[in-house]
Amino acid sequence: MASNPVPDHVPPEMVRDFSLFTSAGMLPTPNGDPHAAVACVHAGPPIFYSPYNTRNGRGTWVITRTRDQRRVLQDAETFSSHRSIFASVLGENWPMIPLELDPPAHGIFRSLLNPLFSPKRVMVLEPVVRERAIALIDRIAASGTSCDVMKDFAFPFTVNIFLGFLGLSDDRLDIFVGWANDLLHGDDVKRPAAARMIVAFIDELAAMRRKEPVADFMTFVVQAEVEGRPLTDEEVRGTGVLLFVAGLDTVAAAIGFDLAYLARNPKDQDLLRSEPDRIGLAAEELLRAYPTVQMIRVATKNIDFEGAPIRKGDYVSCATMIANRDPAEFKCPNTIDLAREDNRHAAFGYGPHRCLGSHLARREIVIGLEEWLARIPGFRIKEGTAPITYGGHVFGIENLILDWS
Amino acid sequence: MRIIVHHATCQGHARCWAQAPDIFKLDDEGYILPGDINVAEGDELLASRGAQACPERALEIDRTAAALESVFIQSRV
Repeated sequence: MASNPVPDHVPPEMVRDFSLFTSAGMLPTPNGDPHAAVACVHAGPPIFYSPYNTRNGRGTWVITRTRDQRRVLQDAETFSSHRSIFASVLGENWPMIPLELDPPAHGIFRSLLNPLFSPKRVMVLEPVVRERAIALIDRIAASGTSCDVMKDFAFPFTVNIFLGFLGLSDDRLDIFVGWANDLLHGDDVKRPAAARMIVAFIDELAAMRRKEPVADFMTFVVQAEVEGRPLTDEEVRGTGVLLFVAGLDTVAAAIGFDLAYLARNPKDQDLLRSEPDRIGLAAEELLRAYPTVQMIRVATKNIDFEGAPIRKGDYVSCATMIANRDPAEFKCPNTIDLAREDNRHAAFGYGPHRCLGSHLARREIVIGLEEWLARIPGFRIKEGTAPITYGGHVFGIENLILDWS
Repeated sequence: MRIIVHHATCQGHARCWAQAPDIFKLDDEGYILPGDINVAEGDELLASRGAQACPERALEIDRTAAALESVFIQSRV
């Protein structure tokens, strides 16, 4: 794919041949390790320009140091989140909420939604999450000594919890996973088609909940008020679409990467199985090593940032997978140490847009690992199979065939 | 010891609370309650771990004499 011309204000010596979409290890790769592949940027400058670093081929500045990413992400006034990533697939322009809102509107919607995803709220949800994990893993254990973790556990587990939020049963689970997959990884035909299906589904669900309220997320959203008024249809849609997009893929990918690591590192696997109290800390280290998201901001004004002449309208990329391998922040960043302390990783981002679902995601990952290790004996990658990993806007793993025969 | 809480910098990661829920209290949204925290003598290690866990650097450990004194005075009241 052709890259856009480098803007005139970018000094040629600051341009580097690197992209989360096209660099080595970013395309689907059997037995790949896209996180290790991006860590190579730390051999270079703290900030550079990547001519092709978005799905549609736009260039971005790439911030590599954790400290600088924190600075960018905490400064929403200079670095805006308003990009309409989802809507632009449909040729429209409306924000996913609260992800693509800037302060002060962002804070109003965050305050509305925060209580639904707070640490205390997640504690209440925990028994349901655990029950679901156990049911799925028991079924896998009963049916043989091998499975595809992504298809048989990670996706059904995380999508079920998301559907629980929406008050929906599991019967359309495969359809939703298909939409999410097409949206994130599909071509120019599949992506808009999936986006249209998702919008229609959210609009329809909102209309249903308006007519007949139940105890679920969309009912909360259609009944909610901000600044003394109900949400507009576009705001309801923007909120519902974000829940759909954010909840479907990332946690499943995290569980996949984590179990792939444990399959390849039997000592760590045995340790966590025999001492499950270590799983909480280990999950943080695995979040550091295998985060999934790249955040992109738009400069709202000209700013010289660590020697880079960022101009109004420029895209600025803060990739969590790059921040989390910063040697200035993490000792031996490419070594996975499941007992690592002081692990202030960037997996959920920094600043006001810190992942709204982070507390739920953490619990899902920890519970998933706890119940998997408690129920599945020593496992490895099934001989003759290779997990396919990929980079891009959201890093992921397509398949993970484990064997414990 | 005292923990200076930069309330506006808190983004609700709740990593302090995960380390020490009795020291770092959260509001209903999951963000830290405003106001600096005077740490009791036996809780210092736990409190520093909680403060150091903050991804935003919103919690600052104050070990100055004044901070120690304020804890002392508080413990006498």
